[in-house]
Amino acid sequence: MSGIETVQIIVNAEKQAAKIVQDAEATAANIRKKIDSLIQEQRTEMLATAKKEAAALVQQAEEEGKREAESYEKESAVRIRELIARASSKKSATVEKLVDMVTQGEK
Amino acid sequence: MMSETSKFTEDILKAATEKAGNIIGEAEAETQRASNEAKTSISREAEDIIRSARADAEAVKRRETSEARHKSKLHEQKEKDIVMTEVLDHAKKLALDVTKNESKYSPYLTTLVESAIRQLGDETLLIHLNKADMTRINRANVERDIAKGLQKPIKIEWSKEPIEAAGGVIVSTPDGKTRIVNTLDERFDAMEPKLLIEAGKSLFGQ
Repeated sequence: MSGIETVQIIVNAEKQAAKIVQDAEATAANIRKKIDSLIQEQRTEMLATAKKEAAALVQQAEEEGKREAESYEKESAVRIRELIARASSKKSATVEKLVDMVTQGEK
Repeated sequence: MMSETSKFTEDILKAATEKAGNIIGEAEAETQRASNEAKTSISREAEDIIRSARADAEAVKRRETSEARHKSKLHEQKEKDIVMTEVLDHAKKLALDVTKNESKYSPYLTTLVESAIRQLGDETLLIHLNKADMTRINRANVERDIAKGLQKPIKIEWSKEPIEAAGGVIVSTPDGKTRIVNTLDERFDAMEPKLLIEAGKSLFGQ
């Protein structure tokens, strides 16, 4: 092999090596580029899931609150009816007591 | 045997391949780190959203039940007020009706006058009655009963001007500067807060 041929072979090898490194750099740049969009996708997806869960939590609480309120109102209506019924049975005695206070008691 | 040139070119390519591997490995490690950091940060954001939603949910639930409690309290108060007003109106009517019963009213009127005299502390007094009482009340009897009740002589003058009241008296000093108003209407109005408390206790045990 002549000296020129040897140099040629080495130059070619250097070129090939440079190409390998250049390709690797391109691949690395591509990997870095993809990560941004991947992170953005992940963010959108995770936050959408969280927001959906959050909305479900609030809605569930609202429904629970409404159910509890309804139940409380029903119980309360019964309690008030009973209270008024008991009070009504004491009306006459109370009126009598008040009249006594006015007509007998001191100012 | 491998020639020197071949060995040299092989080394060049080997070094390039190694460098390429490092470049790509570094990029992958870097993106992996970025991905992990992003995941942690996004997870925190998502947790914040859920935490905030839990607080909102609690508030929403509390608001619903608290509104129901408030509504119920108002309803209860309204119903109680109806009964109290009814009882108070009825009591007022009956209290004013005492004027229709001569045997009850006359001693009651005497008590009202006595009470006013004690408050005034004077020995000469002017008594004011409404038009109906001016004609039907036996003044001599009232004066006698008052003197008996107070156990001291009192000079009583009777006003010729009728007062506007359902019953009861206004007792004043002769110059009219000091007056004790013991009319039934006034008495009832003055006692209303006490009567309401008593009615509340009696009707609702409060």
